[in-house]
Formats: sequence, C-alpha cells, structure tokens
Amino acid sequence: MKDLKYLLEFENLLEDADNALVRQAQADGRYAIGYTCYHMPEVLLNVDNCFSTRIRAPRSSSIDIATYYMSNYTCEYARSLLERAIEGGYEFLDAIAGVDACSAMNRCYEHIEILKCNSKPHFFVTHTDVPYKIEEYTVDQVETQMRLRLLDVMHEKLGTDTSDAALLAAVEEHNELCDVMTQIGDFRKLDNPPITGYEFHVLCLVSYCCPTPLILPKLKETLEEIKNRRPDEKPFARARVVVAGSEIDDLDFSRLLEESGALIVADRYCYGSFPGRERIELQDGESILRQICRHYMRTSECARYMAQDKITQRRDTIDRLAREYHADGIIFEQMKYCDFWAFERPLASHILEEEYGWPVLSIDRSYNVRGSGQLRTRFQAFVEALEIKRIQKRRAAQEAAGSEVKR
Amino acid sequence: MKNKVKYPDPKFFRFKDQINWKKQAENLKEIGGIVAELLKETDWKDVAGSVKGDVKAFKKRVSHEAGLLKGMSREEILDLIKNGEKQLGKLYRSGKMATVRREWRGVKDTGVDFYEWMRMWGMLLATFSKDLVPAMGGALHYRWMISYFCCHSFMDKNTLGLRGKALKMHHELIYAIFRYVAENLVLLMKGDEKVGNSKELSKKVVLLDEMTMAQIMAGFPDLIGIPYQLMPVFLLSEIDQLACEPYIDAVESYGLPSDTCPVPTSECGACVIDALPHLGACFISSSMPCDGSVMASSYTARRFKDLPTFHLTFPVRYEDESIMNAAVEDIKACIRFIEEQTGARWSWDAYFTAMKRFNEETRYELQKWEVNQTPYPQLIGPCYELFRKWNYEMDGGIDPRILNTFKKVDELMKKAYANREEPWRGKMRHRAIVWSVPAHYYANFSNWLANCWGINVLVEMESLNFTKPLETEDKEEALKDMARLYERMVMRRHTNGGYDHVLTELWRQVEAWKPDLVIMYQHVSCKNMSTLNGLFEDQAREHGVRLIWIEHDLMDPRTVSRKDMRSKVNEYMRTVMREEPLDPSLVDFEDDASW
Ligand code: SF4
Ligand code: SF4
Repeated sequence: MKDLKYLLEFENLLEDADNALVRQAQADGRYAIGYTCYHMPEVLLNVDNCFSTRIRAPRSSSIDIATYYMSNYTCEYARSLLERAIEGGYEFLDAIAGVDACSAMNRCYEHIEILKCNSKPHFFVTHTDVPYKIEEYTVDQVETQMRLRLLDVMHEKLGTDTSDAALLAAVEEHNELCDVMTQIGDFRKLDNPPITGYEFHVLCLVSYCCPTPLILPKLKETLEEIKNRRPDEKPFARARVVVAGSEIDDLDFSRLLEESGALIVADRYCYGSFPGRERIELQDGESILRQICRHYMRTSECARYMAQDKITQRRDTIDRLAREYHADGIIFEQMKYCDFWAFERPLASHILEEEYGWPVLSIDRSYNVRGSGQLRTRFQAFVEALEIKRIQKRRAAQEAAGSEVKR
Repeated sequence: MKNKVKYPDPKFFRFKDQINWKKQAENLKEIGGIVAELLKETDWKDVAGSVKGDVKAFKKRVSHEAGLLKGMSREEILDLIKNGEKQLGKLYRSGKMATVRREWRGVKDTGVDFYEWMRMWGMLLATFSKDLVPAMGGALHYRWMISYFCCHSFMDKNTLGLRGKALKMHHELIYAIFRYVAENLVLLMKGDEKVGNSKELSKKVVLLDEMTMAQIMAGFPDLIGIPYQLMPVFLLSEIDQLACEPYIDAVESYGLPSDTCPVPTSECGACVIDALPHLGACFISSSMPCDGSVMASSYTARRFKDLPTFHLTFPVRYEDESIMNAAVEDIKACIRFIEEQTGARWSWDAYFTAMKRFNEETRYELQKWEVNQTPYPQLIGPCYELFRKWNYEMDGGIDPRILNTFKKVDELMKKAYANREEPWRGKMRHRAIVWSVPAHYYANFSNWLANCWGINVLVEMESLNFTKPLETEDKEEALKDMARLYERMVMRRHTNGGYDHVLTELWRQVEAWKPDLVIMYQHVSCKNMSTLNGLFEDQAREHGVRLIWIEHDLMDPRTVSRKDMRSKVNEYMRTVMREEPLDPSLVDFEDDASW
C-alpha cells in the first residue's frame, strides 16, 4: 500500500511527549494537562483553555533511578514515566490529572510531586478517587471528585472556564474526533483493509497525545485518504487478531506483531480505541458533568472494576470485537508487574478460550518490547497455529460441502 | 443471676448435619489409596536411617546438655533453675518440623507454660467435641486442616523466651485467638457441603473476604460471619510456613505471574485446587486492601458461581470526606444484601452493644501503647501483634468474652509495669518499631529479635490503626464511623490514600515511640509499599533514623527464607552497630523445614 501522507509526521510526533503540536498549543496560550488512565475523563481536560495529552515515555531505555525509588517488581510503565519525569521530560506539563486507580501509577504521580519534577509555579497533580463498581452513589462519587478535585482546581489555578457551555463545547469536539477515528477503525472489519494495525495504532496515539484542534484536521484528511486507498492485492497478514489487556503505547509492539504475520483488527487496551473513541451522547435531564462521568464508567474496560457485571462486560467486549472485526484469535497481554492485569489475564484467557471458543495467546510484556526475540517467536507460533486452524476449518467446510454434493 | 449471653450462639453447633456417607466412603477410599501408594514408595531403609539419626542426635544433645550443666557454677545452676535457659538456638534441629524439646523457663514459668499448654488442649478438645465428626472429617478433605494440629507448636514458638507476666499475657491472648479459630473450624466443616453439609447452618453463615472487617456482622446477631480465607490461607501461613506453597504453585501454573503478592495469589490458588469449603448464604467480597485483593474476588466468584456475592468497596482517598456518602451508601447496600440473602434483620441495638465493647477494647489498646512508649515496655511480641490485628479485624467487639481477656491482660500489664519487669529472658538493648508488612511465615520474628539481639519491638505498623471511639447512638453518624473504620483496616490504613499515610506517618510514629531502630520489612511483591522504597531511604537519612531493611515474600519462604531474614539483622548488628548477640546460639540455625 502507498504510505499515508501524514504517517511519518505522526510517527515523529510520537517520538517525544513534548511534541511539536503540544508546543504549538502552549504557545497559543493553552495549558497542557497530562494524564494516563481511562478513569480520568479525557474530555474534561479539553475544556476551555486546556488540552489533554496522554503521557508516554517514548524511546525510554534505562529506568534505574525510578527503580531505586519504586523497586524492581513494579509496573514498568509507571517506572518509565517516573524516570522520564526525573530527567525533566514532563517539565512542559501544566498539570497532571491523576486518579488513584492503581498503586503503581499513583506512586508515580506522588514521586513527581515530592521530587519536584516540574517547576512551573502553577503546576499541580490531582488525586481523584474512582470507584470499583457502577451504582448511582458511585456516579455521585465520580461527579463530586471531578468537580472538586479537577475542574475547580483547573479553574482556580489556570483560570479555566468549567461552565456547562464549556463542557458542552469540549464534548462536541471530542465527538468529532471519535467519529473520525471510528470511521477509520471500521475499515479494519474489511477482509483486506486499507489500513494496517500498526498505522491505526499511530493514528490512535496521536489522537490521544496531541491537542485535538491541531490533530483533528490531519486525521480528517487521513480518513479521506484511506477511503480512496487501494490495499495490496495480497494482504501481508496470515491471521487477524484482537489485542486486549493493559496499556500499550509502544509502537514497536504493533510493529513486531504485524511483522510476525498478524493483522491487528481491534485494539482493546488502554491507549487503544476501545474504549476511548466512542461518542459521548448527551441527553437532557441530567447534568453534563454527570453524563460524562457515567459515559466513562460505563465504557471502561478496566480490570479494576470488580463487580460481576463489569467482569462479564470485559469478556463480552473482547468476544464482540473479535466477532465484529472477524478475528481469528485474541492476544491477551499485560504489562509486566501490573497487579490488575496479572490476575485478569490468566482467568480471562482461559475463559475466552474454553467458554467463548477463541484461540488465545496470553503474554506479559515489557513497557518497551523493542525487538524482543522471545515475543517474536511466540507471536509467530500463534500466527502459525491460527493459520493451521483456518486451513483445517476451510478443509472441513469443503469436505462437508463435497459430501453434500455427493448426496 | 444475670442471664449470660453465650457466644457463639450454641444453636450454630446444634444444627443438624446432613453428611453424605457415601461420599465420605469414596473419599476415604481415595485417601486409603494415596496412603497405600505412599507406603509402597517409602524407602524404609531411609526411614530407619532417619530414626537412627534422631536417636543419635538425641543422645548427643542430652550428653551435651549434661556437659554444660556440669561446667556451670552454682550461681549459674541456680539461675537456670529459677530463670530458665539462655541458649534457645539449641532447640532447633536442621530438617525437623518441631523443636527438639520444649523450652525450660525456670520452675515457675515452666509451670505456668505447662498449665497453659494443658488449658489450650482442653479448650481445643471441648470445642471440637461440639461437633466432632465433621470437625475431624474435614482433615480427610482438606490438607490445610492438618496444619492446625501443630497449633501448640505455634503457641510455643510465639512465646519462646518470654518470662513472668509477659508469658501469662501472651498465653491469654493466644488462647483467645485459638478459641476463635477452633470454633470457626468446627463451623466451617459442619457447614461445608463436602463434610458436615449442614444446610441449616449454611443459611446462617455470611462469608467475609479475607481482610474484610467483621464489625458489620455485629448488627446481625442471628448470623455468623466467617472470614472465608482466614483459616485455609491467611492464618495457616502463620502457623505453617510451607502451607501456602501448593496454592501459589497451582495458580502460577494456571498462568499468574510470580511477582504478585502471595496473599491474593494464595487465595486464588486455593480456589484453583479447591481448598476452600463450600458453604454460606452469601459472600461479602471487598476491594481491600489493595489492587491484588481487588482482583482475587473474580477467582472466588468463578469458583463458587452459586454463592451470591456483594462487593464492598470504599474510596481509596479516604481522608476526602466529600465522598463519604459513597462509602455509607455501600454499607447500607451491603446490609440490605445480607438481609435479602439470609432473611435476617439488622439490629442497631446489637450493633451498638458490640461497638461499645469495641470502644472499650480500643481504650485498653491505647493503654498498652502508652506503656510501651515508656522506657519499660511490657506487652510486646508476636502474640500481642497477632491479637491486635485479630481483635481489630475479625473480632471487632462481637465476642463478649474478649473484653475479659483485655481486662486480665491489663491487670497483668499494670503490675508488670509497676515492677519494671523485662518481658524476655534477656535484657532489652534496643527499642524498635516495625514498619511495612511483616512476613507471615515468620510471624514470630520479633521474638527472635528480642531473644537474639535484645531488640524489643514496641509496636508494628499494622497495629496502628483507627482508634477514634465509634459512634454508638446516632445511626447516620455510626455508619460514617463504620466507613472510616473499614477504610482504615489493617494494611489499608497505611498503604492507601497517599504516601502521607505510610511515609510521613513513619516519622510521626518515630517521634511518638522513640525507637532507636526501625525494622523495615520489604515485602518484595507488595506494590503499595515497594513503590516507596527510595523515598523511605532518602528521608530516613534526613531524619537520622536507622532502618534495617529485611526482605521477604510474605507467604512464600522460597523467595527469601527465614534464615535470610535473620542474616540481614545479624549483618547489620555486627557491622553497623558493632554488637555481639545476647544469645549466640540464635545467630545461625536451620529452620527451613520447621512449622
Ligand atoms: S499497567 Fe497496570 S500497574 Fe501499570 S499503570 Fe496500568 S493498571 Fe497500573
Ligand atoms: S501485602 Fe501489600 S500487596 Fe499484599 S495484600 Fe497486603 S497491601 Fe496488598
């Protein structure tokens, strides 16, 4: 396929947390609010004079200092962010919108504060409380937290207009972005899609890491380009997979997987598009803020939600995506040393395999996979297994059809 | 005469069992097969060799001890008779599960100890006799039940080296805990489908997730709350250091990575190998204390699909009162859930009565702290540490008998304090506090610290929880207080809600207790604590506080053994403090295989 016009530019934007578009927006007088977790409603950070940037630590290598502070059996993602923060990599941020969802990330934020990794006088870190289940009183809880611990602080420290009108404008802009990303993502349902999983990962990441008003026009243009893009006659991939699990912001992961012969047709992980790129549908009769909170709670696929309905939702979502996007199998991954996904992965993998009938590859991985030989071997073996399964299925179908004709 | 309320309600023990004898016969046959196989595979020459070795070692020890006795002066012999032995390391023998003999504590204290030993046996027999068949039958179904046969050894190792009133106090405390354990074991086995199968009892049982505090059950006097994994997992790992290994291995081979905390890991492993009894009207699972525990409940739900489950979840940022309502509403929802599942009704009277008791118990607890903060600490050591956690979490003022235990201990403590007694055989050299999570498989580590190096542990982090008296009149306020209490449960109080609760808190506690050492446990897979390692180190230097870092893996002694834990202290005391041990026989000994 012909290269996408903006692909290289987008890849470059992802080389640094503090990218050119972030700088441009800040030069225009807007404040950059970093965040990591889906429990923090992205749209609330895009209100008025603020914009969100989902933080990453691209190209990170040694994380020795963060390991001194946070020890070595803790989430590599959280440690990589801390290392980058200590190196001064998040000096550009005006705030961090944190949630107390997992202990590793919470401690990472705390270190950023204690070690004074950002010297801007107005810089602040929020610590908002998030629930484990969805009940009316937990929606109250999130709404209260978002109002008191986030919006009010933004207003006080950054002079942000957090009125309903401002929230509404942010939702509208967010929905526009979601529509574009959903349309692009839908191409992956096709037998021979005009976009690869890797490319989609790039687009999805820029949509999280760059200010929406600046990235949206380019994404719209890319959508038009893809509509008219001619896929290769013979697809490169030998199997179609859904990737599900914990955070992935490492493009090398998708690259490695696709180099091994798999096409990623759906991205059900944090920093992927499921969840994150669904429209927020507002209705009358309830405050906008409450509806936003409810939307994020409802769509969240976070393993931290412990009530049974959410546990079932998570498995059903993966199953639904695999069916809708015509996947052959599922890759269930987890960040090394992440407690939530460490427990979720084995159980869900077994259930998806035994009860939902999907072939599943279950792996744990580093924050930066680089060219991991071990992972490559496992990916290749899985792709081969899926391929064999497909051939067997086809043969069985042919045989069945043959005996039908004979009769 | 005043009508005395019996606790636990005797009717629980009287409910009819519905034992499936056919199933018992099948199980017995299977066990018989395993035993026959074991016997067949046993190398009897090896066994004979081992017995011979034991006899030889026994003779050697006796002659060694006789030799020591011969070499002693008159004063030393008198001291031995009066105050007991000084070299406790000699009680261990490499590769053996139990100590070679009981400790000689001097005439008087050995008498006290023996009396308590008998009293414990009496209580255990009486309790198990309340429904002997299922209680004993459980041992044929659950491997972990066997470990409870060594509870006397647990008592012994926790009281090693104690003398005088301290010994008596420890016995009082451990007796109360074991009575609770024995009663709950009987009820668990009686209600379990595989064993007693008492449907009537099962309908009255509310199972509580491991770390879920019991206080909510105080409002349901007609029901009984049993901490589900306490006996098969949690306490078990304190009694028998090797007991959780099969759980951990099972769930790791199921796919769980090996870096997760052994508490939720073992709970999940217990589900995988079907080690949890099957009973109860419902299960109260909880998000506490940490990320791993949140996730473990999905394994329990998976194992027992027919067990209605309520997820009791509280805000993590618990100082933030703006979200108190969510916690209160969750408690109300939980109460409604229990009512629906059991048909029982919540009673404010019963709740307030129990919480008044709990408040009184907390007042006694604070007196202990007061005494331990003086230069003459009295109630210190493993039984106290265990009792504090148990009373705070599992008893919670519900059992009226416990108030008496508090009273007795309080009297003893005050007398001991007036006499300026030393709790241990050796004299105190250092005042220490313990921070972070202690190793289950070395529950009596503070006892070793005192006996070997004279390091007296005044208090543990896990004891320093919520001490505000709970509301016992206004119902809405009472719910808020219950939420505050639950949010500050053992471990959660420190590990949740921000670093201030554990990092800055340590420096505040150092101010209050004036220790010259901090025993800094480093539970390698506790994400909440290990994510603060560097800051502890940095700030300890700034505060001029000495930390002795001791690694462990909570319930898995294969990662860091007891001996490795001891060697950290030995090294520190010798190289940094330049001291020699009080009891050199305890510096280096083998206990990898012991309970
Ligand atoms: S990967 Fe896991 S431990 Fe890391 S930030 Fe996400 S939820 Fe937390
Ligand atoms: S030791 Fe740490 S990780 Fe384990 S249960 Fe306790 S708080 Fe959780």
